[in-house]
Amino acid sequence: MLKLLRNLIKEPMFVIGMSLFLITMIAGLLGPSLYTASPNGMSYARPSAEYWLGTDNLGHDYVALLLRGLQNSLYVGFMAGIIATTIGTLVGLFAGFKGGLVDDILTMFTNLFIVIPSFVVLVLVSASWPEGRSLTLIAVLIGLTTWPWTARSVRAQAASLRGRDHISLARINGATNLQIIFKHILPYLASYVFMVFIMQVASGILSESAISMIGLGPIGEGSTSLGVILNTAKNNSAITYGYWWGIFPAAIVITMIVFALYLLNNSMEGVFNPRLRK
Amino acid sequence: MNFLRLITCGVFVLSFAVLASCDKREGGRERGGYPRSETLYLAGSQWGDPNTFNPLVEPWLVAWPANDRFNIMYEPLTAYNSLTGATEPVLGTLVSFDTERVVVDIQPEARWSDGVPVTSTDVKFIYELGKRFPQATTAYVGEFVSGIKVDTIDGGIERVSFMVNKRERNNPLAILDQLQAIRIVPAHVFEKYLTDNNNDFEAVKKIKCDDKPVVSGPYTLEQYNNERIILARRDDYWGNKVLHGGALPVPKYIIHPIYKNNDHFAVGLQKGTLDASMNFIPRINERKKDGVRTWYDAPPYFVPGSMHFLYLNNTKAPLNDRNFRRAMAAAIDYAAINRLALSNYTPAMRPGLIMPEGLEKEYFNAEEVDAHSVPLGDTAYARRILSEAGYRSVFDDRGMLRFSIGPNGDTLPTLSIRAPAGWSDWEAIVNLVVSQLRAVGIDVREGFVDGSQYWPALPSGQFDIIMRKPPVAVTASLPWNRFNAVMSSRNWRPVGDGNSMNENEGRYNNPNSPDYNKRVDELLDIIPLMTDKDSLKAAYIELNNIFLTDQPVIPVCHLPEEYYQFSTKHWTGWPTEKNPFAPPQLPWVGSGRNTLWKLQPVTK
Amino acid sequence: MLKKYPTVRYVLQRAIWYFLTFLVAIALNFFLPRLGSDPVDIMMAQSSFSSPEIRKQTEENLRKSFGLIVIDKQGQIVRDEQGNAVRASKLSQLFNYSKQVLKGDLGTSFKNKKPVKEIILQALPWTIALQFPAILFGWICGNLLGALAAYRRGVFDKAIFPLALLMSSIPFFVFGMVLVYFFGIIWDIFPAVGAYSLQLTPGFYLDFLLSAAYHYVLPFFSIFLILAGGQAIGMRSMGIYELGTDYIKYAKWLGLKESRVLIYLFRNAMLPQLTGLALSIGAMVGGALITEMIFSYPGLGMAMLTAIQTNDYPVIQGVTLLITTSVLLANFTVDILIALLDPRVKASLAMDAK
Repeated sequence: MLKLLRNLIKEPMFVIGMSLFLITMIAGLLGPSLYTASPNGMSYARPSAEYWLGTDNLGHDYVALLLRGLQNSLYVGFMAGIIATTIGTLVGLFAGFKGGLVDDILTMFTNLFIVIPSFVVLVLVSASWPEGRSLTLIAVLIGLTTWPWTARSVRAQAASLRGRDHISLARINGATNLQIIFKHILPYLASYVFMVFIMQVASGILSESAISMIGLGPIGEGSTSLGVILNTAKNNSAITYGYWWGIFPAAIVITMIVFALYLLNNSMEGVFNPRLRK
Repeated sequence: MNFLRLITCGVFVLSFAVLASCDKREGGRERGGYPRSETLYLAGSQWGDPNTFNPLVEPWLVAWPANDRFNIMYEPLTAYNSLTGATEPVLGTLVSFDTERVVVDIQPEARWSDGVPVTSTDVKFIYELGKRFPQATTAYVGEFVSGIKVDTIDGGIERVSFMVNKRERNNPLAILDQLQAIRIVPAHVFEKYLTDNNNDFEAVKKIKCDDKPVVSGPYTLEQYNNERIILARRDDYWGNKVLHGGALPVPKYIIHPIYKNNDHFAVGLQKGTLDASMNFIPRINERKKDGVRTWYDAPPYFVPGSMHFLYLNNTKAPLNDRNFRRAMAAAIDYAAINRLALSNYTPAMRPGLIMPEGLEKEYFNAEEVDAHSVPLGDTAYARRILSEAGYRSVFDDRGMLRFSIGPNGDTLPTLSIRAPAGWSDWEAIVNLVVSQLRAVGIDVREGFVDGSQYWPALPSGQFDIIMRKPPVAVTASLPWNRFNAVMSSRNWRPVGDGNSMNENEGRYNNPNSPDYNKRVDELLDIIPLMTDKDSLKAAYIELNNIFLTDQPVIPVCHLPEEYYQFSTKHWTGWPTEKNPFAPPQLPWVGSGRNTLWKLQPVTK
Repeated sequence: MLKKYPTVRYVLQRAIWYFLTFLVAIALNFFLPRLGSDPVDIMMAQSSFSSPEIRKQTEENLRKSFGLIVIDKQGQIVRDEQGNAVRASKLSQLFNYSKQVLKGDLGTSFKNKKPVKEIILQALPWTIALQFPAILFGWICGNLLGALAAYRRGVFDKAIFPLALLMSSIPFFVFGMVLVYFFGIIWDIFPAVGAYSLQLTPGFYLDFLLSAAYHYVLPFFSIFLILAGGQAIGMRSMGIYELGTDYIKYAKWLGLKESRVLIYLFRNAMLPQLTGLALSIGAMVGGALITEMIFSYPGLGMAMLTAIQTNDYPVIQGVTLLITTSVLLANFTVDILIALLDPRVKASLAMDAK
């Protein structure tokens, strides 16, 4: 384990990714409570000494908005990531390990979620939630619709482990299926699942911003997200009017989180993979 | 390798250059290719795919300009000038109106595009269609008009009298509105359709009327697809001689681009691919450098004509308490809404349902309003009414509202303010209202919902608070129709599924309750029949005072009925405050269409 | 019976399962939109009829024309004791819908009474035109770059890889907005809105094609660059993996030309990448909703979004049917391709059959 870490730290991509990630996490977790600013009563005020990134259409300070949005986007990303990874890993493990009919049924279930466009499910379900869409509702819906990709790749990995000797040995020793899955397969896939989880968090953040861009983002006081910030700017003609401070900071923040997560994932792949493929 | 790269780059740059130059070239007309100097680009009415141009189909299914009140293809009898209040002649000339009848002479020269004269047969066809087919969209007119009499006067002119339906609506003002709302369609064409289809109205509605339709107006449909609708000028339009001294409308073609995104109107105006639009574009004054103009050069830029309201569910606690509603009206900071959400498009807000500007100014009485209204934007006053009425609010240590308690000690529910998600100006208003109301201790939240949740909530009354612009056009019957839309109990139904009201959706003034104020409905009934200016003014003031005292809904802004912004890049001569030859409307409704005869192409 | 032909057996098995998935998806596609409000309620709320009798009449007519109420054999509305029309149950609606679909009739839009087939046929070419070239070129360029990066390593890789990673982290709509901001607004080089110059009538002639190409530049790059980034990363790691294999070492040792080795490498690393291509082509139909929104492109995504906002069941169903079918077909093709092309899968199939 320590050796792994040492290898990781030698990797410049990991170091950059980790630092970016830590910066965004700290900013997102602590920022909103440390930095507050009162609205200045002007729409789209230019960046100034007082408002570093200017203000939005309602005169809110963009730095404060971005910090809050970052926090909420991270919340949605992690929540969706946890849900999707859990469901996807469980479905993938069982399908891959059991094979046969169980595999076929679970694969069908997985395919079902792939073929029904997830934004349609999101729109329709959230539309029948009359009291508005909270961050949690959106995170849960994203989690419930993005797990199939995890399930697919975990299934492939689990299937490749199925025929391994130590699994057969465990089976001969009378271990139950559950025991085998959790004791003998999951540990082998732990690093893989962790990498998948990182990707799911990234895709959760991206999905949230996409949903907000269609105008179906979270609603309610303090529930602004990076996607909502971008959508509000778009709806208020920030692009057309050249209010760059309405678009670029939020765009850069989203890209940075996702970039950090991708860097982490890729550097880990470089370190973990040789082991996995042995 | 380097050589290859150079070539690739070269090819790319060259092809873009060719593309860019070709895009500005104009092709032959059979493939489109409408010369920019002869084409007017107007947008903002059609949003979805155009499907049918049949004027008998339900208006929401019909494409521009065969729908609603657009009068450049099918024409109504008259056109209302929202600037002067005059009823201007189109297919007919208004002769007189009183409590008995509204009288119109039909223009003897009016012709359909196939040469057939426009006669009283055409008028009777559309006005009485509801008697033959109850599902006809004009069937409602029977509530206002009990019968149509036709006489021939000197010179063979047909004189049509619309008799006021005394037993139902008894409202000659509303008939005046209908004269410009109902467009006359060619009876000889549609009667033939009906005969061909064995009088099956639904079958006739399936005819699309999109191939050389028979129309009476100055333009006709040339072609359309999902991206735009194109009209071509009819050089033999009868009205050129009769109404415009022999002149032709200047633009040969009118193209209505169908944009899917509000922002694209701003892009179009800025880039000069659009000449005028009727939708909300924020901070329009910043577009002046691109040649985009409005009626006024300074705030409020537009001419106010319609009020947007927060409708309150008057049957639900605590909104059933007049004090609570008044506190809400006092707590809202209307100036901040105007500045932040509406780009200063609203003149300074005055309370009540009568606007202190435009034609209704004559009914506005500042002293009466001040005597009956709460002071607007006065949070101290709002807090005082609330505490005097027994409301208490609990704030956390950061000063954020946690919950509030009613006079009888119950915790009050969080009230949700519904608005359609994606309507950015309304969303901004609601955001501001929520923070302002919460600051004084009124527990409200944003409730942005999809159209599928927004629209059905209105008639059934299943909402707490909802943003609403009642469908009140700027017509001769203002401000009566505004009062009617928010206060009338004529069709009162309780809140609930299947119960629908199309006015007073907030269920104010329940006629079955002991508190029923029957004076409201009485006033609403007699105002349309009043001819004496002084008593009319007195009646309006009385009604407005009741409104101010009860505050059944909260007006939040006075916006133009339709936005009107135009670009001077390709066309000049638009009506403005300094050159008010036509009202501030796009040249396709009311007497706004007169602009078409005055525009001048910019020659380079 | 098919034991001798394991591949055929496998294909048949997959086909059956995909067909089952298809059936369940259709049922879900049918019921999901019906969770929300009734479309007729939405229409009636927006209409301005005041008299209750006329409202009721109009409402019944609408419901009748949409098949939402029960009609007897004479075409009359079936009524209950109170004289209200009896509403058709969801199951009977599903039954009618399935019958229609089998006849090739997707119904008509509730919103503007346009046949759904027509709506789809008008929007589909735009969606394909918007995405297919971008996906294809993005795939090809990304894979070439990825293979190069894997093969060359060194400085080339150190520059390409993080760049590709950064490109693929940008949400594609954000990139679209940035492109519009600079090229469409600030520098005003390319059109920011629409798919062609509106004075032209779509058709196969030079002016129109040039205009469409000119309008296509920004949307194309907004998809192309990001997709290419993602593909390059995938190809690079596959390439590095393949480089470690013996045959490449052998080829290098033999002193084969660089381009030749690259071709071998590319061919072998391509299989998983091909899967990705098939899947993204399958998902294309529903994939670029926001790109369409940003550029006002008249594609399927926009048609779908408008339909959802008005609970226009037939359009939602029609489009989801199309998406479902194309994604399933793409998946199926991938499964079959792998079974046919990948020797390892082939071998395991043969083993299972024993």
